[in-house]
Amino acid sequence: MAIKNDDKLKDIEAIRGHFESLGYICSVEIATAVFLAYHLEKPVLIEGPPGVGKTELAKTTGEMLDLPCIRLQCYEGLDESKAIYEWKYGKQLLYTQVLKETLGEILDGATGLAESVDKLHSFGDIFFSEEFLEPRPLLKALKAEESCVLLIDEVDKSDHEFESLLLEMLSDYQLSIPEIGTVKAIPGKKPLVFLTSNNTREISDALKRRCLHLYIPFPDADLERRIVRARVPEIPPKLNQQLVAFIQELREMDLKKVPAISETIDWARTLILLHTESLDPDLVRQTLNVILKFQEDVETVQSELQGVTNRALKAS
Amino acid sequence: MTEMHDTLVEFVKVLRTADVKVSPAETLDAMETLDIVGIENRSLLKNSLSMVLSKTPEEKEAFNTSFDRFFAYNKFSSENEAGEPGEDTNQDDGDFDPGSDGSDQQSGQGSGQGGGQGGGAETSEELDFDLLEAQSELGKLLLSGDRMKVMVKMAEAGRQVEVNQIVVFTQKGLYTRKIMEAMGLKGLQDEVGELQEEGGRPQMHLAGQLKAARDYLREQVRDHVEKQFLLHADESGKELREELLKKVKLSNLEKRNFKDVQEIVFKMAKKLISIHSKRRKTFKRGQLDVRKTLRSNMQYDGMLFDLKWKSQKVDRPKVMCICDVSGSVSNYSRFLLMFLYSLSEILPKVRSFAFSSDLGEVTRLFGQSKLEDAMAKTMRDYGNGSTDYGQMLADFRSHILKDVDSKTTVIILGDARNNYGDPKSEILREVYDKAQRVIWLNPEPKSSWTVGDAEMKKYAPCCHQTEVCNSLMHLERVVANLLRVAV
Repeated sequence: MAIKNDDKLKDIEAIRGHFESLGYICSVEIATAVFLAYHLEKPVLIEGPPGVGKTELAKTTGEMLDLPCIRLQCYEGLDESKAIYEWKYGKQLLYTQVLKETLGEILDGATGLAESVDKLHSFGDIFFSEEFLEPRPLLKALKAEESCVLLIDEVDKSDHEFESLLLEMLSDYQLSIPEIGTVKAIPGKKPLVFLTSNNTREISDALKRRCLHLYIPFPDADLERRIVRARVPEIPPKLNQQLVAFIQELREMDLKKVPAISETIDWARTLILLHTESLDPDLVRQTLNVILKFQEDVETVQSELQGVTNRALKAS
Repeated sequence: MTEMHDTLVEFVKVLRTADVKVSPAETLDAMETLDIVGIENRSLLKNSLSMVLSKTPEEKEAFNTSFDRFFAYNKFSSENEAGEPGEDTNQDDGDFDPGSDGSDQQSGQGSGQGGGQGGGAETSEELDFDLLEAQSELGKLLLSGDRMKVMVKMAEAGRQVEVNQIVVFTQKGLYTRKIMEAMGLKGLQDEVGELQEEGGRPQMHLAGQLKAARDYLREQVRDHVEKQFLLHADESGKELREELLKKVKLSNLEKRNFKDVQEIVFKMAKKLISIHSKRRKTFKRGQLDVRKTLRSNMQYDGMLFDLKWKSQKVDRPKVMCICDVSGSVSNYSRFLLMFLYSLSEILPKVRSFAFSSDLGEVTRLFGQSKLEDAMAKTMRDYGNGSTDYGQMLADFRSHILKDVDSKTTVIILGDARNNYGDPKSEILREVYDKAQRVIWLNPEPKSSWTVGDAEMKKYAPCCHQTEVCNSLMHLERVVANLLRVAV
């Protein structure tokens, strides 16, 4: 496969380096996945808790390779007319009208039904040709001339039927349109495909089998500190350390929704806005709603706030 | 790379016994991955294979333990670390290949060795201490300090001597020797002997190194064999045990097996769920989906004749499960309830009742507490007292019969031993008329269904189906049938 800027994908360290320069700090596993996805020409199925940067990975990859990122957001009821292609019905109708008027000219000289039909046949199926085809994300990705990054977001939200629809695309990089035939990806320009899932339901084995499987867990403290530093560069190192220690401890607690990386970053930004130098219990109490999204979680944490904050302060 | 591919196939086998589902297609993918990432960088290899072969967090965990066990290999000695895996993995493949090709032909090993030793004599003339190199295949490999290659070689040798056939602990010594031999122990020994005969200082030094490496290797091989034993003998043991447990009578299961059984029950339920939860039926009635209809009928010039409906319905059976929990059959009910609860994901409408004489609903109890507690509470509340099927049926009619409709399946689990009381089979007849199906599961063998105080003879005509059910196998079959009929 030879796509633009593919030297950036030559080994894992290179990938990590390039990601880092774009502000996406990733673990070795993530870089390995991107590396393999490119070299094996396989889609990557990314799973993990919400807010760990699954979607971001695809977007950053697109940015890194300077390729367009085509996104297909999945939802219940998504079907082929929205994901693959649709006929431009309006245009077809309009052309039918035009044809009606000029039919006389076309059939000029033909005598009898058989001859007229023959003459019409010679025009071919113009109404079901590419000109009347409205490509949707999947088809667009296949036809992208410079290759592209295709992000199929939250594939678990779609129906089972849609999953089966994806299989042809994922394993052979082709799509079949009954009226036209099979559309294949341009050789050497296959799109890099990322699928993300939040595990609201099991993805079928058939789909999993065709993908590399990457599980992105919550980062460890060290990685998270680097992420915060990359995203919120103005944060003082001490605060960064306290903040991450605090979040890491929250993740150990029994909460309805534990804070993810995106929340950590939001919180870091909040604290910077408030000109904070160091965590203290009062401040944490006031800003807790940035990292916790359920009232019952807020209550659980508040009762142990003092202890957790002190431990976080000590950790720095 | 072929031999590494073979080793990979072995590894996939191990993964399968460890409950990681790996399809042949994925095995092929793994081989391709191997060609790309090479084997020199262990953690890279592990990460890569993990992505290709294991597809859920649980599988990833199993993969990690299996990988560590299967490819376990410690360093020879710290001095040899110089030859640690290089960064540029792809290029290193090149010099690995010829080595492996040579060792592939084990028969040719001996003759190849002769030439090797000749070479050894030549180099010994150079007095440079460090340049003296081992000449035998194995010696070279060991002194190169490349753990991954040694490990691959070992795994390959293990495959040749079929170490995965190891069944009992006492075979370990045998297999260790066999593997060492297959790896070219003889060549190494000869070389050591020759070096010692020659007797120069560099030769002695090399001989010493080789001997140390050999002893170390022996330890490693022993370790390897032990791990293989754990991997193969132990895991297949587990499989065997699970198969057995499925067939064993539920009442004979011992308490210590309960955990295993629960696991099996869970697996079975999962299997059934995956088979059945996907069947969907498109509704032919209901609310018209105007948008969808217009859209799909545009191709017919806006003539609406292909109608689309809003809802799709997953048709799942409504199940009512009545369990006899009196002393004699309580063990069986325990498993039926367990099973139905694991199935509750696809059968959201399971209602469970327990009785020995008075009928009580335990659905809510099961929904709220853990399986263990719920079981214990059910037994406590309903488990004592003598069995009275007549009373149970009367209770059923007065409280629950109104909820029974033509989609309901009623499962009764009991031995139908009514202590010579009034069986009231006419009530069961009523249920039979109203419900879609009435299934009676009897843990006793058919021959004793009519013996003594058993009333199966009277109840059986009022059931759509009567089955002997006293093992997990039976249970699985019944539930599978239930789903098939209902969906």
